[in-house]
Amino acid sequence: MTAIETGPTSPLAPGLRVLGVEVADGVRAILREPTALFFSVLFPVMFFALFASLFGNQPSASGLPTAATMLATFGTFGVVSVMLLSPGVAVAEDRTSGWLRVKKVSAAPIGTTIAAKVISALPYALAVVLAISGVSLLVAGPVLDLGTWLRLVGVLLLGGLPFTLLGLAVGFVASSNATAAVLNAVYLPMVVASGLWFPLDMMPGFVQALAPFLPTYHLAQLALAQLTGADALGNLLALLLTTAISAVLAGWAYRNLRV
Amino acid sequence: MIDVLQIAGAHHRYGALTALDSVDMTVRAGECVALLGPNGAGKTTLVGLATGLLAPQSGQVRVCGGDPRRAATRRHLGVVQQSMGFPRTLTVAELVRGAAVRAGRPATAAGPVLAEVGITDLQRRRAGKLSGGQQQRVALAMALVGDPTLLLLDEPTVGLDITSRRAFWRTIAARRDAGAGILLTTHIVEEAAAVADRVVVLHRGHVVAADTPAGLTARLPDRTIVARTGVADSVLRTLPGVLSVTTDGDRVQVATAAPEDVLRRWLVLDEQLTDLRVEGAGLEQALLALTGDATSGDNTTGNNTTGDKVEVRA
Repeated sequence: MTAIETGPTSPLAPGLRVLGVEVADGVRAILREPTALFFSVLFPVMFFALFASLFGNQPSASGLPTAATMLATFGTFGVVSVMLLSPGVAVAEDRTSGWLRVKKVSAAPIGTTIAAKVISALPYALAVVLAISGVSLLVAGPVLDLGTWLRLVGVLLLGGLPFTLLGLAVGFVASSNATAAVLNAVYLPMVVASGLWFPLDMMPGFVQALAPFLPTYHLAQLALAQLTGADALGNLLALLLTTAISAVLAGWAYRNLRV
Repeated sequence: MIDVLQIAGAHHRYGALTALDSVDMTVRAGECVALLGPNGAGKTTLVGLATGLLAPQSGQVRVCGGDPRRAATRRHLGVVQQSMGFPRTLTVAELVRGAAVRAGRPATAAGPVLAEVGITDLQRRRAGKLSGGQQQRVALAMALVGDPTLLLLDEPTVGLDITSRRAFWRTIAARRDAGAGILLTTHIVEEAAAVADRVVVLHRGHVVAADTPAGLTARLPDRTIVARTGVADSVLRTLPGVLSVTTDGDRVQVATAAPEDVLRRWLVLDEQLTDLRVEGAGLEQALLALTGDATSGDNTTGNNTTGDKVEVRA
């Protein structure tokens, strides 16, 4: 055992050591019991594989290959699936079982535990994007240059934040089953109505009119703008507003946290 | 000696229900205090205050001189909760190492504590799949790994067999002798008397007794005699050694510390006495003796402490 890594003279601040342990626990939880996230990762990848092999090489309305625009829309779908559900459900499970209370009476601030739930979900969100990108390469070849792709990944992961806050807000007050049910019930219609599965111009008029009120729509538009160079300031502002509202909701739910 | 837990004038209400009513108590370093009371007495609320889960609505709570609502104060605190809710995905060693780091200790502190509570051989197992007794030892290891000055044990031996109980209390006694203050909650009179240096009896949010086990048991009945009898309650109360008399349907319950003396006289008074039973006195009778207050409303499961139920047929 080396004193450098684990000794009391550890160069890492105590808060960071706790965060490290909590993130490791969170990653282990997902690795050792992958069924919880199985569908969150598998669904977007399978859908993407199906649609990309059918339409990937056709040009989309924007002139880009459909596989490229689908990277943005299915990327949004996949990343938001993971980031909305995983931290919220994990917190709700720990709350229901009493495990969150163990953390709360420990000497480590509870905020670290919750931050760790969010951080340990990020690799899985990234895994979805990588899997989709891999499939896209296979069926349509390279449709994006590396810089554009990296910008897209960055936008998707950062754009997951308001959804994570929303998931946590529900997870702070509802049981784990109820959290998953409520979030899916809200999320899946949002996915369809934001044009993440099928292009919006295939949708009925009232859905097209509804889309601008949905945060998933704005994240998808912001992601598409990385490809097309379109002006997406309005989408960015809409996402910032969503983040602010989600943060207020999560803060309120946190103050009502019963552990 | 240093007070590692000080609770002064603590009031706590949930809506119209008063859970704690001006409770004062202390736990000193190197002392084991049992908080004894039936369900609903306010034990959980008191533990919530001491762990910082609840804010005192009035009064003061200090752990090692600090406010347990502050994370830094809780470095001095080790807690074994009633339900730990171990995640299914983590091993024993991972749990105890995590607890060490959260308590500000190196992860390597886990090894000696696993040995101390005797679960070194379980360290690679998933905690969620262990038996109740093994899980309780994992919980104890997690509480001890931070080297707590105050150890809070909330109903720690519920569901443990006798061997596990003994091992549990041996570990606790060693920590107490090394200077830790211990507060345990229980509804079992015998357990409180056997392991604690002082017993604080909590009933309906009030401290109704605080004494050494010897001082307390001297005031408590250790047997209850139950029978159908023609003798009036008022007469039974005058018999020497009778501490209290209650009726339950057509049966009479007599609490006493001297069942032989009472029975000798009672059988002389009533030759038709039937359905005689002599039982170990439970918490119910103890509270009755301490408060003179029938607790039929608090008749909870698990209060019967009798491993030693004696049946005598007349």
